Amino acid sequence: MNNLWILNMGFVALLIGIGLYCLLTMKNTVKLLIGVEIIAKGVTLALVASGYARDNLLVAQSLVITVIVVDVAVIATALALIISINRHTKSLDVRKLTKLKG
Amino acid sequence: MHLFLLIGLVAFSIMAVLSRDLLKSAISLAVASIFLALAFFGMNAVYAGVFELSVVAGLITVLFITAIALTRSDSEVAESKRHLIVFPLFFLALAVLDILVMRKLLGQIPAIQSAESGTFSQVLWNQRTFDLVGQVGAIFAGVLAVLALFRPDGEKAHQDNVSEGGRHE
Repeated sequence: MNNLWILNMGFVALLIGIGLYCLLTMKNTVKLLIGVEIIAKGVTLALVASGYARDNLLVAQSLVITVIVVDVAVIATALALIISINRHTKSLDVRKLTKLKG
Repeated sequence: MHLFLLIGLVAFSIMAVLSRDLLKSAISLAVASIFLALAFFGMNAVYAGVFELSVVAGLITVLFITAIALTRSDSEVAESKRHLIVFPLFFLALAVLDILVMRKLLGQIPAIQSAESGTFSQVLWNQRTFDLVGQVGAIFAGVLAVLALFRPDGEKAHQDNVSEGGRHE
């Protein structure tokens, strides 16, 4: 329970808050993905900081690698989805994706 | 030193969110990644730092810039200008809440046992084998998804599917 851990966790909360703000308010689909990416940064910082504070750095690093790999797969798929949507709607605006709206 | 790295990380993340140009956003995100990797190196997490630098600051930035270049010619999305007023208020409230609550909240987390030995590769390959299988699955699924989305005649095949579905009904 040292001070460095609390400092790190404070910044983790800030990063996740910024990412959530981006996800909730932005209209550009690429910006939404940037929000997801900022949240992922917060999660990796939380893992490494906790591992460092509790002397479990090896397990924490292997978990970070898992998170990063999953993150890359998600981002690649989402960007491909955005490009293919962009070909149909000619826009990056998330408000124009109303085709499935009831 | 660590504090400056974390402040840089948050500052460039904010810049990535608020910047109007998508390219600047992507590059700010990469710089934030570099700050995070340096913080990891400071905490002796070398492997996580190397991964953060090479994959997140390198590969994901390249993916973002490619996607922005492929969609750039089309119309820009007008974000509302209220962000310049609303975001500082939100950030201030978040920071105050953070300072007030975080220490008490973290005190409630029970201590986990910390007994680990061996090297990083032993932990990764022996203890977290299932995670590695999951990673391979995630990469495979991602590759299949990208291939499915970039089929050469995707639109035509989609229309065929739609008309077939209509016939079945």
